[in-house]
Amino acid sequence: MSASSPAVALPSAPWLKALKRLNAVDIVLWALRIAVLLVIVAGTIGCVVKGRYTAAQWVDFVVFGLTIGSIYAQIALGYTMVYGVLRLINFAHGDFVMTGAFAGYFIAVPLDQSGFLQRQPVLAMAAILVVAIATSTSVALLTERIAYRPFRRVTGLAPLICAIGVSFFLQQTFRGMFGSAVKSYPEPQWQRAAFNVFGFNVPRIDVILIALALLFMLALYLIVHRTRMGTAMRAVAEDAEAAALMGIDVNKVIVFTFILGGAMAGIAGVFYAFLYKQVYFFMGFTPGIKAFGAAVLGGIGSIPGAMLGGFFLGLVESVGPALFLDGIGITAPYQLRDLIAFTLLIMVLIFRPHGLLGERLSKKRA
Amino acid sequence: MALLEIDDIHVFYDNIQALKGISLDVEANRIVTLVGGNGAGKSTTLRAISGLLHPRQGAIRYDGRPLAGLGAHDIAAMGLVHVPEGRRIFGRLTVDENLLMGAFTRRDRKAIAEDKERMMTLFPRLRERLRQVAGTLSGGEQQMVATARAMMARPRLLLMDEPSMGLAPMVVEQVFETIQAINAQGVTILLVEQNALMALTIADQGYVLESGEIVLSGPGRDLIDDERVRQAYLG
Repeated sequence: MSASSPAVALPSAPWLKALKRLNAVDIVLWALRIAVLLVIVAGTIGCVVKGRYTAAQWVDFVVFGLTIGSIYAQIALGYTMVYGVLRLINFAHGDFVMTGAFAGYFIAVPLDQSGFLQRQPVLAMAAILVVAIATSTSVALLTERIAYRPFRRVTGLAPLICAIGVSFFLQQTFRGMFGSAVKSYPEPQWQRAAFNVFGFNVPRIDVILIALALLFMLALYLIVHRTRMGTAMRAVAEDAEAAALMGIDVNKVIVFTFILGGAMAGIAGVFYAFLYKQVYFFMGFTPGIKAFGAAVLGGIGSIPGAMLGGFFLGLVESVGPALFLDGIGITAPYQLRDLIAFTLLIMVLIFRPHGLLGERLSKKRA
Repeated sequence: MALLEIDDIHVFYDNIQALKGISLDVEANRIVTLVGGNGAGKSTTLRAISGLLHPRQGAIRYDGRPLAGLGAHDIAAMGLVHVPEGRRIFGRLTVDENLLMGAFTRRDRKAIAEDKERMMTLFPRLRERLRQVAGTLSGGEQQMVATARAMMARPRLLLMDEPSMGLAPMVVEQVFETIQAINAQGVTILLVEQNALMALTIADQGYVLESGEIVLSGPGRDLIDDERVRQAYLG
């Protein structure tokens, strides 16, 4: 039996068709945009109205944001450089950070107990950094040689899954060797003192970490843009085959990239440990995944993008809980700082997958 | 002994055979060209010579040395330089950095600076564009960068894949003049071209490829006069 009346003929103007087709997805995406915007606007207004935070507290938030941001930026550089030359998201990179922090711990503790860390801060910090860099770089090189090189010509998800496997391997190895307890990092007197900047107290450790991070990132930038191997690295990132035809040994460039990324991971690991005063086997995971988000935010493959993304993410997750969440009446906003970071990552992936300065994450190498 | 000797190479893409036993010689200081239609195997031949592809069978000897088992970067370091199809310059690097990458295998800073100067005399346009990002140049200028970049390696044998592709007719003429000028400096050229008439005109020796096999060979001018070549490629 057919229905009594024929199907209603719908008008079929092209714009209407487009509207019909896109509606469901669009509504969800627009709802997401509006929700985030509402939280930001309402939270900011609420925060200003309540006026719960003093100027000194805001300075604290910003300084901490810049400090953690500088660490994210250094880790993000490792993601972005490896992605640039291999089109591989090295999910073990956060664990390179952890290995550096652990290695630094094992030299920082005796240096602290002997009083050397207190008496000779520069030499002691240099020693800790050298050991951390040597360790994380070695781990990065071994990972490249053993785990990633066999996958060089493999397309699809296998290399990515291998990277996740390396991540678990490193975590569980360090857990097995050094236990799963949280170990506390030394905290020498000179780190605890505060600088006075325009009448605000700024923790000295924050200033030191930001300054050193900027210094190391400047060095990295100069290596990548002013040296022969750095230029070769950018050439390989753009077109590995054409680079090989110019006599560039692509394997050597990849090794060079892992050395740079591993060194930055080691430095970041020590800085992260001195900031939070602790090390444990899983400590690389959260900053690693956030720094990956920062690299995507800045535009994966882009070195300035990674630095920008790192600082931006650090600031947003540090200032955000007070500014956006406290204002809308959330009682424990600081518990949600990771939520802010990951919301930012998801928003970037949906609305701006090529990030602020870079290429699309989904773009495949030719 | 020829500078480059190719002896019965068979090249496969997975299980599809692209070259079915190619043999050819490139004598030193000559211009040799490979002509043929789309998919005849011209680019594949160049890619096999420069080490981007590895023949399943047969041998390639450069200056008497077999190239089997060498990587593309090793072969480039021997002075056998391949300017790939589509130019493939580094678009995000400056013109200067592109030239520097051409000289990657060399350590003699002074001679590199001299060669750069020579390239800018050969291509005066590049002097103005030295600090510019190469991706912003016109097609003709990008071809200059690709050629100059390859010349920075001080090649003895230059493989050029479709250097005239996508260029305006006037620019195409300049490209062929440049090839002859480079050859006159003692660089041997193996040229792949769609533009068969131009290529055969400047070539000492030509090979006609058809579905992975050499069907004709001889001095360039003889091939232009050949009835079969005329019908198939010269219109």
